[in-house]
Amino acid sequence: MATYLEFIQQNEEQDGVRFSWNVWPSSRLEATRMVVPLACLLTPLKERLDLPPVQYEPVLCSRPTCKAILNPLCQVDYRAKLWACNFCFQRNQFPPAYTGISEVNQPAELMPHFSTIEYVIQRGAQSPLIFLYVVDTCLEEDDLQALKESLQMSLSLLPPDALVGLITFGRMVQVHELSCEGIAKSYVFRGTKDLTAKQIQDMLGLTKGAMPMQQASPAQPQEHPFISSRFLQPVHKIDMNLTDLLGELQRDPWPVTQGKRPLRSTGVALSIAVGLLEGTFPNTGARIMLFTGGPPTQGPGMVVGDELKTPIRSWHDIEKDNARFVKKATKHYEMLANRTAANGHCIDIYACALDQSGLLEMKCCTNLTGGHMVMGDSFNTSLFKQTFQRIFSKDFNGNFRMGFGATLEVKTSRELKIAGAIGPCVSLNVKGPCVSENELGVGGTSQWKICGLDPTSTFGIYFEVVNQHNAPIPQGGRGAIQFVTQYQHSSTQRRIRVTTIARNWADAQSQLQHIEAAFDQEAAAVLMARLGVFRAESEEGPDVLRWLDRQLIRLCQKFGQYNKEDPTSFRLSDSFSLYPQFMFHLRRSPFLQVFNNSPDESSYYRHHFARQDLTQSLIMIQPILYSYSFHGPPEPVLLDSSSILTDRILLMDTFFQIVIYLGETIAQWRKAGYQDMPEYENFKHLLQAPLDDAQEILQARFPMPRYINTEHGGSQARFLLSKVNPSQTHNNLYAWGQETGAPILTDDVSLQVFMDHLKKLAVSSSC
Amino acid sequence: MAELYVKPGNKERGWNDPPQFSYGLQTQAVGSKRTPLTKRVAASQDGSPRVPASETTPGPPATGLPPPSNKAPRPPPKGSCSTYSVEPTSSPVIESETLLEDVLRPLEQALEDCRGKVRKQVCDDISRRLALLQEQWAGGKLSMPVKKRMALLVQELLSHQWDAADDIHRSLMVDHVTEVSQWMVGIKRLIAEKKTLSSEEEATEEKSAATTEESQTVPGFLGAL
Repeated sequence: MATYLEFIQQNEEQDGVRFSWNVWPSSRLEATRMVVPLACLLTPLKERLDLPPVQYEPVLCSRPTCKAILNPLCQVDYRAKLWACNFCFQRNQFPPAYTGISEVNQPAELMPHFSTIEYVIQRGAQSPLIFLYVVDTCLEEDDLQALKESLQMSLSLLPPDALVGLITFGRMVQVHELSCEGIAKSYVFRGTKDLTAKQIQDMLGLTKGAMPMQQASPAQPQEHPFISSRFLQPVHKIDMNLTDLLGELQRDPWPVTQGKRPLRSTGVALSIAVGLLEGTFPNTGARIMLFTGGPPTQGPGMVVGDELKTPIRSWHDIEKDNARFVKKATKHYEMLANRTAANGHCIDIYACALDQSGLLEMKCCTNLTGGHMVMGDSFNTSLFKQTFQRIFSKDFNGNFRMGFGATLEVKTSRELKIAGAIGPCVSLNVKGPCVSENELGVGGTSQWKICGLDPTSTFGIYFEVVNQHNAPIPQGGRGAIQFVTQYQHSSTQRRIRVTTIARNWADAQSQLQHIEAAFDQEAAAVLMARLGVFRAESEEGPDVLRWLDRQLIRLCQKFGQYNKEDPTSFRLSDSFSLYPQFMFHLRRSPFLQVFNNSPDESSYYRHHFARQDLTQSLIMIQPILYSYSFHGPPEPVLLDSSSILTDRILLMDTFFQIVIYLGETIAQWRKAGYQDMPEYENFKHLLQAPLDDAQEILQARFPMPRYINTEHGGSQARFLLSKVNPSQTHNNLYAWGQETGAPILTDDVSLQVFMDHLKKLAVSSSC
Repeated sequence: MAELYVKPGNKERGWNDPPQFSYGLQTQAVGSKRTPLTKRVAASQDGSPRVPASETTPGPPATGLPPPSNKAPRPPPKGSCSTYSVEPTSSPVIESETLLEDVLRPLEQALEDCRGKVRKQVCDDISRRLALLQEQWAGGKLSMPVKKRMALLVQELLSHQWDAADDIHRSLMVDHVTEVSQWMVGIKRLIAEKKTLSSEEEATEEKSAATTEESQTVPGFLGAL
């Protein structure tokens, strides 16, 4: 391994882990002086083509408080058939099945390249996956039709033995009984009254005493009476009837008078869905999929009244404490989200409306349970349809890219403690000696529950070094961490993925250059950004920015090379050089700035930021910009106004938007139709190249991004102009002497000014 | 082979709606063919934009012409996947019309095979959907690609390629849901029922053929199910 970059990349590919620091400062004091905490981005189910799961169970350390899993870092005495736990140093006997082991006959979990391994658990009953559709019928005809078709289509994509259920809602909530024969029946609930889980189960006849009456079909043998609830039936049995049922769905029949919003009982519908699954299938993989076309307007969880003249809350209203439903509604959805998480189920929200639909209040439903959040304008768009299709996409082995009901457990060697996690999970409140008192993110535990996850779901895990300052470098010179993810695979198997990693300790006083060289600035930027966004959910925006700035200045003070009070002497080494610009773009990003975004949009952006992997997160922080020209092959260029040149085409990827921008000259050429003349075929190719590249991104991204094709002077050029660093503005245009690039009409601070200030503050002895 | 096409998104209902990829393209996209565009250029440490290297070549004046193909260095466009048509492929005109009979008869035959072995109600349900298919086809409501792919589906069904047939059904549901959603589910069920029947037949045949092999071929955990 030649460089740290290669080392970092290899670790990410093999273990799905990126650490902020890859050599660890050996004392608590030194670690806090590093400013960026010791932390990692973990992608527990990272897709590995070369990792077939093993068909046996893991071997655990026998110490009851440890129970770490046998791994390549353990020392093994092959003669005595003993292994020493690398976390607690307990000596353990191998189980009888391992009597044949020797140096040349090792089980997979002892081989170094199996630092990540997956076990298939054969024990326990396997239960099918469950998909419960909760469908808003207060939609326009066009939208409802498109949604119905997408739902019918999904029946072809679901695993045949999965269970499906259907709840529809408008002013009332209907729970549909699914049966193969006879007339369609449904239970109707009022949308204004919240019901407890017990009441819902009683009314639906799900409680033990009143088991569903099955006399009607005695011919059907019920091998699993538990599994066949009248409301949840296997796709392969019910697909024809459900197709008809969906096809016959009508818009909510209650009249909506002019000036009113339709009455939409989202809060009660969701509550019934949660209660239904809670009573019938606790702790098995299940998705509640909510499709909604507007805000909840009545009952518990309403976010706006039905009077159209009262607009839905804005950031301004919230800041002025003038949003009367926010707190109450949020409380309702938080209660539902916590119950859902306790049951091991997850909630997806597909919100398609032109106005806001209450994602701010409902966000906890997806964020605590690992569900998807999708925001679009209409169900009749390719954005929704394809995003929805991609939920059911399959991996190389033909398995659905979804895992359910996971617990993530983290074990550390003694010199480390766990400070917390940030990602779509909830705490399981498991205390222990390796849990830190200082919380970062969701802390106070060594285990988290992740009810829904996929191969890209990524968690920020934060640690604390606890070794005392004068203590020697810990035994063995290396610290270790084990991540144990137990989950239900989409094939319904229970599986355990185990990743064990180790990194060297270094004395921060004598070996600072080693620690410095092993800094992963990309991982650090994303991990700090997650902390910032996590804070932004509860604190005021300016406080978070101030905190981020302070951290950046401290980092520069610690790792910059400079003479005191001389900003021009300031330099950062290669492993830190990108970090300040990441922070600059993060400050401007929609994750921390709410200006120009609705509360729903902010919730949506933050939702995705808190779960994507490093590459995608970094694209969100600092979008990617590629330039296409006659001067050479496409090349990445600075995200800067100076890159906007007349004879270039730019392709920008912000994760949520793909923008293609034609420079002024290119746009004129296209207008003149050169691309259609055979002698300028070249130009046609130039125009096509970014389209092809954009297509490639669009084909792989989840959720589908918006796709913007614009040119110099086009109104949509604003998407590009608002993202580039405004190095040229109307204020300094002539200072540059030459007119290259495009001046941006903004008073925002440019990266140059930001860097000037940063250097001044970093070299100053007063702060 | 599934259809490969990209069609524009619904700009009327969603601003900047992305293009729509066909089922074939979506499932094909699993392994990315090219290196993803994820490179960044670092700003210099004072934050000022570096002058791009190619800046020295004088940019053509705004009124100039693009360099003609034979003179200019050809920009090597990264993309080579421009082979997909942007509109749904209008299949070649001169091809024999797929006949309703050719599609419907094998399906009806398959349904006949199921009668007596599959619950009557299911068979009736499938039959109802076949009638719907017939009605829509005869009424000219089905597009050329749907008819073509139905013919392929039937071929696969006839040659007992259940999974291939199922995949075609899925591609039709994804790409042409508006046209096919009402009756396709019947075809889906038919494929599934035929598949179960044939595997049951095979199982009974195998059982009678070689009972001794059984203990070796059935892995322990399958037996537990």
